[in-house]
Amino acid sequence: MENILEIESLRKYYGKPQNQTKALDGISFQVMPGEFLGIMGSSGSGKSTLLNCIATVIRPTSGNIIMQGTRVQKLRGGRLAEYRGKKIGYLFQNFELLDNLTARENILLPLSLHDVPEAESRERLGQLAEYLEITDVFDKFPAQMSGGQKQRVAAARSLILKPEIILADEPTGALDSRNARTLMEKLSGLNREENATILMVTHDSNAASYCKRILFIQDGVIFHELRRNLPEESRQEFYGRILNVMAQLGGGSANVL
Amino acid sequence: MFFKLVLRNGSRSRKENGLFFASLLVSIVAFYIILSLSHQDVMLFLKKMESDAVDKLLLVIPAFYGLTLCILFFLIYYASKFQLERRRHEFGVYLMMGMCRSRLFGMLLAEDLSTSLAALLIGLPVAVLLSEMISLITARVVGLGIIGHQVSFSFQAVLWTAGGFLLIKLAAFLVLSGRIARQEIGSLLVDTPEGTKRQLPAAVYALAFSAGVLCLGNAYYRAITGIAWISIKKMAFTLTLGVAGTLLLFFGLRFVMNLFAGSGKMHGKLSVFNFRQIQETVIRRSSTLAVSSLLILAALCCFGAGAAIACYYGQSETRVLDYTFKEDENSIDIRDALIRNHLDSRFSHLIEIRQGHIRTTEDYDHALEMDSVMDALEQLPQSEGRENLRNNFAYMSYPALISLSGYNELLSAAGLSCLELQKNEAAVYMDQDIVTDEMTGIMNQVLETKPAVQLDGQDFYLKGRVQTTSIVTDRAITLSFALILTDEVFDWFTQGDYSVYLSGILNPSVTEHTSLLNAISQVNEELDEAGISYESYLQNMGRQLFYVVAASYITIYLAVIFLIIANTIIGVQFLMGQQKSGKRYRTLVRLGATYETLCRSAGKQINWYFGIPTAVAVISSLFGVRALFTVLLSSDLRGKTAELLWISAAMILLLAVIEWIYMAAVKKSSSRYLLTLLEPEREE
Repeated sequence: MENILEIESLRKYYGKPQNQTKALDGISFQVMPGEFLGIMGSSGSGKSTLLNCIATVIRPTSGNIIMQGTRVQKLRGGRLAEYRGKKIGYLFQNFELLDNLTARENILLPLSLHDVPEAESRERLGQLAEYLEITDVFDKFPAQMSGGQKQRVAAARSLILKPEIILADEPTGALDSRNARTLMEKLSGLNREENATILMVTHDSNAASYCKRILFIQDGVIFHELRRNLPEESRQEFYGRILNVMAQLGGGSANVL
Repeated sequence: MFFKLVLRNGSRSRKENGLFFASLLVSIVAFYIILSLSHQDVMLFLKKMESDAVDKLLLVIPAFYGLTLCILFFLIYYASKFQLERRRHEFGVYLMMGMCRSRLFGMLLAEDLSTSLAALLIGLPVAVLLSEMISLITARVVGLGIIGHQVSFSFQAVLWTAGGFLLIKLAAFLVLSGRIARQEIGSLLVDTPEGTKRQLPAAVYALAFSAGVLCLGNAYYRAITGIAWISIKKMAFTLTLGVAGTLLLFFGLRFVMNLFAGSGKMHGKLSVFNFRQIQETVIRRSSTLAVSSLLILAALCCFGAGAAIACYYGQSETRVLDYTFKEDENSIDIRDALIRNHLDSRFSHLIEIRQGHIRTTEDYDHALEMDSVMDALEQLPQSEGRENLRNNFAYMSYPALISLSGYNELLSAAGLSCLELQKNEAAVYMDQDIVTDEMTGIMNQVLETKPAVQLDGQDFYLKGRVQTTSIVTDRAITLSFALILTDEVFDWFTQGDYSVYLSGILNPSVTEHTSLLNAISQVNEELDEAGISYESYLQNMGRQLFYVVAASYITIYLAVIFLIIANTIIGVQFLMGQQKSGKRYRTLVRLGATYETLCRSAGKQINWYFGIPTAVAVISSLFGVRALFTVLLSSDLRGKTAELLWISAAMILLLAVIEWIYMAAVKKSSSRYLLTLLEPEREE
């Protein structure tokens, strides 16, 4: 099967050579269609840098990001905008909803940015809203919604144009445990039912336990990988394994690989 | 280190808020130009002739200066407030690091001073240069010539400009920094969001909107029909209605916008986002927008009033005579004196006009009976002009008389056909200075009936049309009504008791190589030397010139100040709002918006943001300026709608150009800001 996303020895260095921070130091991995991949690591491990590089928010120092055969760093202008808008769907930790737009307007914003007629997505809008249970907040402004509702509206926005891959940056970071669980259930449901490809950065082991595969990053390099044995392994068991790895991550001495 | 920080911060705020800085420059230029008005060539020239009027004008200027200082204070206060608010966090950090409040205050003061000095250093030379240019250009345009040009630099004006400017800057700074300095470090460090304004029920906004429309409609009606001009009270009421109407209209505008938002008729790139952005500012800043709109209206009205005044006084009567010498007993002397001083060659024509009164009767109350004229007036439809004529004629029982031969000479010099009168015929003379074109028109209608009048009991038929060619060059004599009679009849009625007005027309060779103004000035000097008393066309021109110059200077000055303030408020507000919503633009970038898309979206918002208050102002000005025209212009000019339409069109065009410049400037800085958002930033 063709992979959707391929990362080849990606490096991102900050600062001058004598005083350099290596946020990413040669990371390589692939994302297959329909995968739900988690990236875990402690604060400063480089996981957000990785996501931001893929989202073209920051430019890597070297290495390749290849999305369906296209080298992302080469994209400019209109094609870059198209990549950001249609190839990837970005789910932010702090939702990034425009506070002066209603939920519906927020969700439809990518359409108006990429000149997609509303009629084309009307059906999709209905499905997403129903699935994410946000139909009743459609005409409300973000200030009138709960955190969970906001994140689900943001999720609908990132999904409306049917992106090839969803990049989620700590999507549960600003949510309470109940809302976090709802969101993760919805995301994993989308992955299961719609075969949506999701790449999620998180340091929340609970959220990560919804993933099918997890990459652990420490000091800019991949430090460990976990695969959930589906269908026999339960989420609870997977969660236990994640916690184990996390415990070792903290020490940083033992490399399990 | 301290000074480095001050200079760097100062130049940063100038760069970040270039629009505000540019407005400061323009206000410095405006201040200097109005303050150095007394040094301008035209004013120096006019001072010689219309010294009273010029002095009065110069007395008013400090008042204008004071008024604009007050208005500019608010602009500076407002713009500086935004600037300081934006740096709250920075101040908090300084304080956290142990900078004491007095030092922070000192730093801000030094920064403010550096900006003010930079503005003065750039603004004053520009102002002096511009003032010099204006002086030269006006001198050239009115025909003074630039040979006698005097440098218009006024040290006093420089001092007042700098003093006033620094004073309001300092005052605004003290008020603002006092506020910041009193705050807790904690509250400085935390970004306080603007907060959502409390929403009232939709019906309130609908009510406000309709009340606003009603108030404005009422104010328009009162302005146009002239009700507003009846008394100060009525005018105050009309103005209050207008101001309240505008405020209510903008307050209620969100009702209309909500209706529009609900209609779902928005297509095109980011149209929903643009609409919501505009809606937000309209809701948050309805009163500022209303005030800006009112200021633009004030500027338009100033332009309108200036144009009307200039138009009224600038309409020169047809010039025929250049000089008038009044001859009494020693009439021979003036001709002789001219010849003696070799000045007769200066004139191509010397015309003698005799003017006197009836001396055959002493019954001054019934020397002239005009019953048939009054009857004819009665037949005509009711109008202001007719009433004026009837009032005038009711007391016109002892008219002035003019002899035909002299008047015909004048007519032929003016290139008009001569009058032909029989012994029992008379022509009517009315001075244009006193009588309006409307009244002349009505009188001509009366004259068509050839009415008969009784002069000392004898019947005379009034013949021809009303004669308006003035018998003197300026104001040696002004006759609201006189009868032109054949010389024989004139001699009989005046019994040899009359005045003679000797008027001269300059020889074309005198005016050949110079402007009329210069030629007359030159001949005046020669006549002064010869000790001949005279009245020249120069007074006439001077008076017109004075009103035109004074009206245009003051109204343009005020209009420019109003426009600057309104546009700066709108522009600064937009840019500040944009920076506050920077996060939204960043989100759009992440969702795949290109730089061009963002710029286009911001451009659309800017168009609307400037467009809404300007449009309201333009609509109001259609009524306001028309009302001003109605009051300021004579009835005859009022009739020339086409001309006034041109003036209005030119005004609106000028406004469009100014708005375009401002919008382009705001778009440019908005684009520059948007570009910074595209740079990825490390968030952790």
